[in-house]
Amino acid sequence: MKNLNTLLMAALLGLALFAGAASAQTAEEIMKQSHLAYYYAGDDGVAEVGMRLIKGDKERNREFTMLRLDNAEGGAQKYYTYFKKPSDVSRLTFMVHKNPEDNDKRWIYIPAVDLVKPISADDKNSSFVGSDFTYEDVSGRHWSEDTHTLKEDATLDSSAVWVIESIPKEKYKGFARKVSYVDKASSLPLKEEYFDKKDKMVRIFTAERTEEVDGIMTVTLRSMENLKKKTKTFVDFSRIKYNQGLTDDLFTERYLKNPPRQFVK
Amino acid sequence: MKKGIAEFSIKRPWIVLGIAAIITVFFAFQFPNIKIDTDPQNMLEADEPTRLFHSFTKSEFNLYDFIAVGVVGEPSAFTVDMLNRIYNITAEIEEIEGVIVEDIMAPSTVDDIKQGGGGALVIEPLMGDEIETEEEALYILSRIQDNPILRGKLASEDGQAIALFIPLESKDVSHRVSEEIREITGRLGGNATYHIAGLPLAEDSFGSEMFAQMAYSAPAAMLIIFLLLWMFFRQMKVIVAPMVVAMMSVIWAMGLLILSGFTVHIMSSMIPIFLIPIAVLNSIHILSECCDRYKQIQDKKETIRHSINELFVPMLFTSMTTVAGFISLALTPIPPVRVFGIFVAFGIVTAWFLSLVINPAIAILISEKTLNKFISVEYGGGPLARIMRGFRNLSLRRNKLIIAVAVVVIMVAGYGLSQIIVNDNPVKWFKQSHPIRIADNVMNQHLAGTYMNYLVFVGDEDDRMKDPEVQTYIESLQRELEKDEIVGSTTGLPDIIKKVRYELFSADSAKLALPDDQTEIAQLLFLFEMSGGDPDDLFKFVTPTYDKSNLWVQLKNGDNMAVSAVVDRGNSFLAQNPPPEGVEVKWAGLPYINIEWQRQMVTGMRSSLLSSYVVVFIMMIFLFRSFSWGVISMLPLTITIMAIYAFIGYIGKPYDMPVAVLSSLTLGLSIDFAIHFIQRLRTIHKRTNDLRASFDEIFEGTGRAISRNVLVIAIGFIPMLFSTLVPYITVGSFFLAIMVVSGLVTMLLLPAITRTFHKGLLPVKAGGGTSEESDQSTVEAKNI
Repeated sequence: MKNLNTLLMAALLGLALFAGAASAQTAEEIMKQSHLAYYYAGDDGVAEVGMRLIKGDKERNREFTMLRLDNAEGGAQKYYTYFKKPSDVSRLTFMVHKNPEDNDKRWIYIPAVDLVKPISADDKNSSFVGSDFTYEDVSGRHWSEDTHTLKEDATLDSSAVWVIESIPKEKYKGFARKVSYVDKASSLPLKEEYFDKKDKMVRIFTAERTEEVDGIMTVTLRSMENLKKKTKTFVDFSRIKYNQGLTDDLFTERYLKNPPRQFVK
Repeated sequence: MKKGIAEFSIKRPWIVLGIAAIITVFFAFQFPNIKIDTDPQNMLEADEPTRLFHSFTKSEFNLYDFIAVGVVGEPSAFTVDMLNRIYNITAEIEEIEGVIVEDIMAPSTVDDIKQGGGGALVIEPLMGDEIETEEEALYILSRIQDNPILRGKLASEDGQAIALFIPLESKDVSHRVSEEIREITGRLGGNATYHIAGLPLAEDSFGSEMFAQMAYSAPAAMLIIFLLLWMFFRQMKVIVAPMVVAMMSVIWAMGLLILSGFTVHIMSSMIPIFLIPIAVLNSIHILSECCDRYKQIQDKKETIRHSINELFVPMLFTSMTTVAGFISLALTPIPPVRVFGIFVAFGIVTAWFLSLVINPAIAILISEKTLNKFISVEYGGGPLARIMRGFRNLSLRRNKLIIAVAVVVIMVAGYGLSQIIVNDNPVKWFKQSHPIRIADNVMNQHLAGTYMNYLVFVGDEDDRMKDPEVQTYIESLQRELEKDEIVGSTTGLPDIIKKVRYELFSADSAKLALPDDQTEIAQLLFLFEMSGGDPDDLFKFVTPTYDKSNLWVQLKNGDNMAVSAVVDRGNSFLAQNPPPEGVEVKWAGLPYINIEWQRQMVTGMRSSLLSSYVVVFIMMIFLFRSFSWGVISMLPLTITIMAIYAFIGYIGKPYDMPVAVLSSLTLGLSIDFAIHFIQRLRTIHKRTNDLRASFDEIFEGTGRAISRNVLVIAIGFIPMLFSTLVPYITVGSFFLAIMVVSGLVTMLLLPAITRTFHKGLLPVKAGGGTSEESDQSTVEAKNI
């Protein structure tokens, strides 16, 4: 009897531990899926991007063409950005070689002085072109850098979602805690709340509009609100095309000065 | 009316005291609702253009009021140990509630623009992590010196001092935040001295120290006055009356102020201090009179009736003139001064009324036995009586000399007035030895300054600030302003453009200049935003739409005079070199606001003082029904104001806010003795019809009352001289000076003039038909 009890206890304990591990596994799995669905849709992609940077009643706009090539699913990526607006920076181009294992590499081409300049990529939390999105928001933070916990299953705007809490494994300036609402159907993040070290919510990401493009569910309008600064940025993706057969040679210095005209109009 | 009031108090003392007590309790219950406001910005109307533009500038460029923490190393702040300590101190400061973390300027938080590996442009924190070698420490210093945006601001040229700038959510947390910073530096500071400075801190700390000061000096003054009264009158029961009147007046005035929803500003916090002496003065006159008369009359009720009858008119007029002095403050354009003036005036009226009802009510309750003891101690001899006789003799025998001295004093004072320097600086409201003053001295000596003014360029359309012509203009204005020695540094968009350009071209010093192409400026600024530069850093200097730009003008001295000199220099440059078409240039910043309200205060106080001077003069002519007596009665007041302000001019004490406001008090108080003196002298002379006999009597009675007042008020406010806050010392000194000077002038010059011109002033009437004019003044008082 006594032995049986002990055995039962041990079994229960084991089950509990397994269940806990399974939930952690599931949460990380969900975040990985979400990351891939959001950042690595297709093998490559081309889009026209319009940005509206809003502060109070003032609005600034940016327009650019963006090219993306995935070298490895969930791994290295290359981005190319050609600015059209504001008009005084038109023809300015920008390129990122993203490497999850190491620092990203970035280059900028300044047409006014006809100069290509590598720029620092140490701080992934710096603002992307002055918007409320950081570089990391644009290119993604690898799921393995945080510990994820599935908090609950919930419904967000009539979509079934997983609510997942992510806490950085190492002390991190970007956030102390993040809560993601991941759509069960598409794995896309529908909402993300960022908390600072005082556990005050400081930023909210919202997938404002989700559409199917070339059979791939895509967030075509997204926003990031900075609660502290009371600013908000909307990013509108249009003319999205996936799997255009982009090649590595497009993402070199040569094309910074001379944009690939078949993609950049 | 006058008989009615006193009669009622004599017949129903308990009812009078009871009603007064109930009203007092009612007003006392308002005190918990007190709202305190120590922001000097509120010296300006809420919709005053300067103030509106300052707020606009702050919100347009996301600017916050800041305090500055100075670290002075021995011998250098750029050592591994010191920099790592500062690194950790900064990290802890970031945790303090109320600090705007993103905008802290410290080695670990500011960005440096520089050349990285492979010719890359790098924008990254100057000190990203703790360091290990002295080379790293010196490298950080060299980076600061190589950066026009940081040079002089973040570290002294010699590397001995480092400054951390801590922006705050609002000014009113600065005192608390500075205390928390002191705790952190005390724990982590090591072998260096730490200073905390900045206008918001001075202003906020002044507020908190002010109320501590109030809680100490008002009761201290009450206590000393009480002791002095006890020395004079030796009867506890008798001297309770003035104390009760003073306390009630203060509670009524402050209670009504709070009830009316006004905030208690630096000015209004002084209301009790101003009311106590005024309230006590009336009561001392009544007590003195009762004390002197009781001996002759020997009937309690009759003594009180007689005293009130004698004193009603002079008390009415002394109160009305003081009211005139303070109510004129309602004409100034400065809201807290207006509130102050109105409620002091209300308190004076209250004190006058309460003196008339409370003093008799309390006196009637005192037994005849006590009263007998009361006068037996006082009457007749005593040092005061001897001094008064000395004054009498002096003014009778040396009358011409006294007049000559007075003429000389007026002339010397006239010159002194022209020497007055108008200046103010909230930091200097603290004594030289106060930590805030020390911090101010040390930091402004080592660094680019703890005072920040802004010069805002408002363009007519978006992107106007990318125009090379505009940037070149801003740059030339920077060079002009920097010629002033108190300008520690100027920082603006041109500095950022030049720095980015310089680093873009691989630190080519030929490129450390503004480009002449608008597109290039636009792209350089875009590069700054793209390459890890915090756009919020950029937007402290330019609006996101590039239609306005902000030049930071950092000053080492917050004295209004010094700030005005910088503003004038800027303005004359603007006048001689008009800005590019469509660009407007305007000042903002706390130091600028301070010079603006000072300007308004000086002109406002001048007209308020002049108007009340005229009003008082007219009142005097009306009171005495005589132009010559009207002129004479203004002499103590005129000489006192001139002497005090000339003294201020000679010793070089700046004419600042407290000094300005005190002119009303001087005006209101220094006429009082003259009113009592002249009114009584004329009444006595009508009765005695003899100059010598009148002098004997007036120096015996009124003279003693005046000298008691001088002593009580002058000594009662001596505790204020030991305050750590300069305005309190000023107020205490003023009370002393007003009492002594106006007392002396009244007791020496007025009798001397009377003696000299007595034939015209006090005509001896044949047949002694004397009571006519005296009755007139009674009639006239009834009409009021």
